[in-house]
Amino acid sequence: MNLPSGVRYYDLRHVTGHVTLIDIDNGVVESAGTSFFNKALIRVLGSHGWGVLEIDNFNPGSKRKMGGLIQSATRLAAITRQDVTIADAPHQALAVPQMQEDPREVDLEEKTRLLASVEKAAALPGIVNRRANYIERFENIAFTDSSGTEFSYEICRSGFNILAVASRNGNVQMGYERVHSIRGFDLRHREEYGKKSAERALSLLDARHVRGGRMRAVLDPELAGVFAHEAVGHASEGDLIQEGNSILAGKIGDRIGNEWLTIVDDPTLPEFGFEPFDAEGVEVRRTEIIKNGIINSYLHNRETLAAIGNGVPGHARAMPGEPPLVRMSNTFIENGDASLPELMEACRTGILLKGSRGGQVDPGRGIFQFNAEYGYMIENGESAGLVRDVSLSGEILSTLHDITLCGNDRAMHPGYCGKGGQSVPVSDGAPHILLENAVVGGSGMD
Amino acid sequence: MRWWAAVAWIEQLLKEGAKLVDEIEVFYAEGKSVSADLKRRNVNLAVSSADCGLAIRTVRKGRIGSSNTNNPERWMECLKAAIASGNLATPQAWDGLPCPAKGPVTDTLCFDPALATEPQIASRLLSEMLEGSKEHPAEVTSGSASLSSASVTLANSSGLYLTGRHTGVSVSMEAIAGQSTGSEFTQSCFMDIDPHSVGERAVFFASRSVGGQDVLTGLYDVILSPIAYAELLSAVYLPALSGRNVHAGRSRLATRLNEQVMDTRLSLYDDPSRHRGLGSALWDGEGVPTRRIDFIRDGVLTEFAYDLRTAYRYGKTSTGSAIRAGASGGTAIGNHNLTVDGLRSDIARKRAIYVHSVIGAHTANPMSGDFSVEMSNAFWMEDGSFQEPIRSAMLAGNVFDMHNKVDGLSSEVRQIGSLVLPSIRLSGMQVIGK
Repeated sequence: MNLPSGVRYYDLRHVTGHVTLIDIDNGVVESAGTSFFNKALIRVLGSHGWGVLEIDNFNPGSKRKMGGLIQSATRLAAITRQDVTIADAPHQALAVPQMQEDPREVDLEEKTRLLASVEKAAALPGIVNRRANYIERFENIAFTDSSGTEFSYEICRSGFNILAVASRNGNVQMGYERVHSIRGFDLRHREEYGKKSAERALSLLDARHVRGGRMRAVLDPELAGVFAHEAVGHASEGDLIQEGNSILAGKIGDRIGNEWLTIVDDPTLPEFGFEPFDAEGVEVRRTEIIKNGIINSYLHNRETLAAIGNGVPGHARAMPGEPPLVRMSNTFIENGDASLPELMEACRTGILLKGSRGGQVDPGRGIFQFNAEYGYMIENGESAGLVRDVSLSGEILSTLHDITLCGNDRAMHPGYCGKGGQSVPVSDGAPHILLENAVVGGSGMD
Repeated sequence: MRWWAAVAWIEQLLKEGAKLVDEIEVFYAEGKSVSADLKRRNVNLAVSSADCGLAIRTVRKGRIGSSNTNNPERWMECLKAAIASGNLATPQAWDGLPCPAKGPVTDTLCFDPALATEPQIASRLLSEMLEGSKEHPAEVTSGSASLSSASVTLANSSGLYLTGRHTGVSVSMEAIAGQSTGSEFTQSCFMDIDPHSVGERAVFFASRSVGGQDVLTGLYDVILSPIAYAELLSAVYLPALSGRNVHAGRSRLATRLNEQVMDTRLSLYDDPSRHRGLGSALWDGEGVPTRRIDFIRDGVLTEFAYDLRTAYRYGKTSTGSAIRAGASGGTAIGNHNLTVDGLRSDIARKRAIYVHSVIGAHTANPMSGDFSVEMSNAFWMEDGSFQEPIRSAMLAGNVFDMHNKVDGLSSEVRQIGSLVLPSIRLSGMQVIGK
């Protein structure tokens, strides 16, 4: 293809869609409605770096108009000085998994009624607030580039959250459940989640604070997934490696954990972070970041693959109308062969931690923090006493050696991951794992 | 300017809406921005963006509907979607959208006519920041500069028709020295920022943190920088001041009105008219004139924040606290320039642990206020200067309760988003060493 002068490559990612939100707060329908959007991003690789246009309300229009936009982006690229090259990468699109029930075929009134019944199920004695939210987001993505790649797909991510708040003598605690997927409408007969959130909030009223320090910990699949995401995932992102802002830079081939430990990012899995191709039209592939305890592969886009190598492209992701960054998709620790009773037995005395409000990492410093919503002290292999708000911190290079047992019950949990001001859907998962020397932060004094 | 061309369809939209519902409100924003990003010391990417957003709210017999789009040509569809959403909403007490008030109809408190959204200016800001980064031995890993300008229109069926213009500039930089990282940023509505000092501070924190020592678990006096303080306050304290959360039972402060909730030497207020404040505004996102809100006066909780919807529902008056998030966002209760004020002292004289920022503030429990986070760029501080760096440790506590252990506030303050904060010295905080 003939490219305009000064242009080495260009692409266009155009996303249109609509979002339906329902918000029920203590029995009151605060809002239930639909909004719609149209955003595009044009990227041009000029003689040095990128020139990018973010356009709201984009109308593809004529070839001539596109030519004008490419010229504007090229003028922007003229202020760049870094010599960017992009690696060749295979272009291929997977099929989007079919939804079991298309949310478009359920009217807003029925959705509101179903959500209200989840919300009502949280109305146990002692609960002072219940809040339920439904979200359904349809995106139509069209991608074209200067090498003739032309892909498009439609995807719907939908689900709900339920929050229950319990209060007693100034002690306020919450229970939170969320169910989100790409598999279609999933709001029928979900009252159990309302009840679960309420029971959690009530039980946490009697939970203790944990006393901070080092201890042995069993992490449930949701929390161990967040651990994998923060401890390994971010630091393996090619853009951070390229910037010199990751402790994993230059460490391919180094041992970082036990030989049975494998940590993977896989956008092909039909989980919440699924993508049929990435934000550069590149084929997505399972990427083993840690393979049998060895640092094996970084996550890449075309630019970072060309700059530093050692990894797999297809990990560029973007919010509609925003520049693609190297991101995780579905990140998990592979199953080991221990059963949960074996893990508990091996733990003997320590803490069993469950659920998470997320975490954060400083990849350059190699230090991360993540949080468990609650947990149980373990004494002699049995649970003894509920604790709440347990945070852990760890050091990337040493902490994986401390995973001494992996369960065989991997489960994935949906969430959103923030980076560079962009939030993208991801899932994290793991089996139950046993972590030695966990640094637990708590204000308990007993 | 296209800004004025917008008027015709907004009036048509108001007229159409008035036929279908009791009341209608239209918010339209149009903006442009440029930014440039560094990878290490070179510009890797330059972005120009043009965005717009239309948000419509309708009221019919106490049922509030809303919708938004970034495609204003589809305003009729947006109007229908707003009305449809209102049909499902639970009706509530409603006493009308605001009428025009006396005074100006254009808000330019956050507007700098000299601020141009030009790529060359973004480039220059980056160069100045890079100059500053030469002051200490650390490598720049990334950086960013952006300039933006926007026009907004807020109109309703009660005859209100307000416009506003906003500009903004921001820069940020990240650096590393060995395994020590540092970062800094600044933001303003006016072309008055100092990129050189941002670059200098980013490399300072990276290089000054090299060779950190461990600290033993125990209780320590801790100084939170405005950044660390802002991270913890935003995660926990601000939502607890929202009238909606208060009446819904989601605030630990709900039952504490007129009680002492923090040290009597402290006050917390929202000051929408702060000179050059990032959140300064003549009226809020619903057109209600803003005013100073004394949330906590001398330690006593005196007020909560209300928008129209929450105020009408609970028999209160709007405090002008409706904030619009982004161009096509609806309104939510927020704050303009939330300020912590009170006892000033030389808080860095006696030995304490200084915490520049924290990792994981968003994992704090927003209901109970409990947090345990990792400290970033922590140092021993004494006689007003940084002493030995601390390698790694966690800080645990409760955002509400820590305001009863305050030993003083620094005299200098810093604006971080919609917060205006000093450094704060807290006594007897739990630190977990490694």
